[in-house]
Amino acid sequence: MDVPHTVTTALDDRSVAGKRCLEAGAGVGNATAGLLANGADRVYAVTNDRDHARTTRRRVAEAGVGVDDGGDRNDDTGDRLTVLEADLRAVPLPDGSVDVITAHGLCNVLDPAALSAVAEEFSRVAAPGAQLVVDDYDPPPDDAAIGELFAVENAASELARGRPALTFYPAAFLRRFFVGHGWEFERERTLLEPVPWTESHVSAHVERAASTAAKCPDEPGDALAATARRLKSEIESESVGRMYGLAFRLPD
Amino acid sequence: MQTRPLGDTGHDSSVMTFGAIALNWLEQEGANQLVEHVLDYGVNHFDVAPEYGDAELKLGPKLRQHREEIFLGCKTQERTYEGAWRKLDRSLNRLGVDSIDLYQVHGLEYDEELDAITGDDGALAAFREAKEQGLIDHIGLTSHGDPDLILDALDRIDDLETVMFPLNPVVAGKDDDEYDYEAVLARAEEQNVGTLGIKAFAAGSWPSTDELSEADRPFANWYRPVTAPDEIRERFDFAAARGLTSVISAGDPKLVTMILEAAADYDGMDEAAQRSLIERVRHDDSPVPEQLHH
Repeated sequence: MDVPHTVTTALDDRSVAGKRCLEAGAGVGNATAGLLANGADRVYAVTNDRDHARTTRRRVAEAGVGVDDGGDRNDDTGDRLTVLEADLRAVPLPDGSVDVITAHGLCNVLDPAALSAVAEEFSRVAAPGAQLVVDDYDPPPDDAAIGELFAVENAASELARGRPALTFYPAAFLRRFFVGHGWEFERERTLLEPVPWTESHVSAHVERAASTAAKCPDEPGDALAATARRLKSEIESESVGRMYGLAFRLPD
Repeated sequence: MQTRPLGDTGHDSSVMTFGAIALNWLEQEGANQLVEHVLDYGVNHFDVAPEYGDAELKLGPKLRQHREEIFLGCKTQERTYEGAWRKLDRSLNRLGVDSIDLYQVHGLEYDEELDAITGDDGALAAFREAKEQGLIDHIGLTSHGDPDLILDALDRIDDLETVMFPLNPVVAGKDDDEYDYEAVLARAEEQNVGTLGIKAFAAGSWPSTDELSEADRPFANWYRPVTAPDEIRERFDFAAARGLTSVISAGDPKLVTMILEAAADYDGMDEAAQRSLIERVRHDDSPVPEQLHH
């Protein structure tokens, strides 16, 4: 599998080789692949989504993930990756047990309460001197069409579950937030500008909005699902906003 | 139009090179007009080959009229000494000029071909003789094959002054060695070898001929090109910002003006925007469903 350039850029000034890593919110395995490709000694990819766990395992296994190392490192990929199905608010790892934590596109799926709980866990599992990499999106500009779709996704989620699906935290917010949790800020870089919300992203968000809307009370649920589907054809794709990468270090 | 030093050749090439295969699809009068049009934008580097139908013949009249303004690249697919001499003579005749500024080994694909051209009876022996005789000024190589092969060629051919290879956001997003043309770019830069980019405007392959016959393709390119002005501009900016000396225009004349406009306006592309384009085409292409993020 190809490691996205967002991930390679977020990691290229981080020291990962030989380290124990926690990839928080494994998604489809992109950051996990990046950590393994950069020589991580062990990656704990934690996700509460069974499909994501499966996808991460499968993609990493299929690719062998040695990436550019001529295949020598591929053989032990299985030994270096552990995919854990768990809630990030209760990470099943001991205190002080990881040297690198990556949260690539994670924070935007955490509402403020969840974000606080997850940050507590990061501080707990991080060893002294550990690195934290937080990659996320600034809030989309007010006139972004994709913002309407996110609003529908959030409305459905609020009605169905009482919390938003997506919260876009500005870089400055997360920077101060993690500093408040004891991390020293090291650097910020721009990973994507504009952010390409492609047809496949739009349709994934539409599907997510529609399936959440199906769990809402009938009338508003139907209206939200219909709006999401209408937005799919209206938006198609849009390049807008910024994805940033923050890096922190825990004092020794 | 911006110019950049073409390796050690002493020539500063315009950031766009005119791919003269576009002339093949035009009548002579249209071909003449297109050459004037391209020159009006400040393009000073042209690239042609005997395999491009009548392109050499159609380039001839305006090339001769503007010979001093045009740095002329030509190439040969011959791998032997005899073959290369024969094709060089033929190109000089068809173009109607006394010399070619840059003569390139065309479309190197296999290791055996590299052995062949570098052998005693190989094409490069003919290139070198022609250079001594003033028929060509510089030696180059083109390939859309394995990047490792191009790296080998850079190692083995001491007098190689330019390399031509594919570079676009589709290949830049792939990690496999078989797409690692960025390594070629880096090595060429190290060795001060000029770099010429092809396939900058490729969106993908054409559908199979069962689905779309060759006669029904709307563009003459080998590949399915991007065609909207904004996309052309992004693709141009990307290729030029990666550090190529010059980006070769697409082979279909319908696209040339848009590429000229993009090249004339070229003003860099920052790295976050380059990554944005790589991500966009990666997702357009991606077999992994349900990706909410980048």
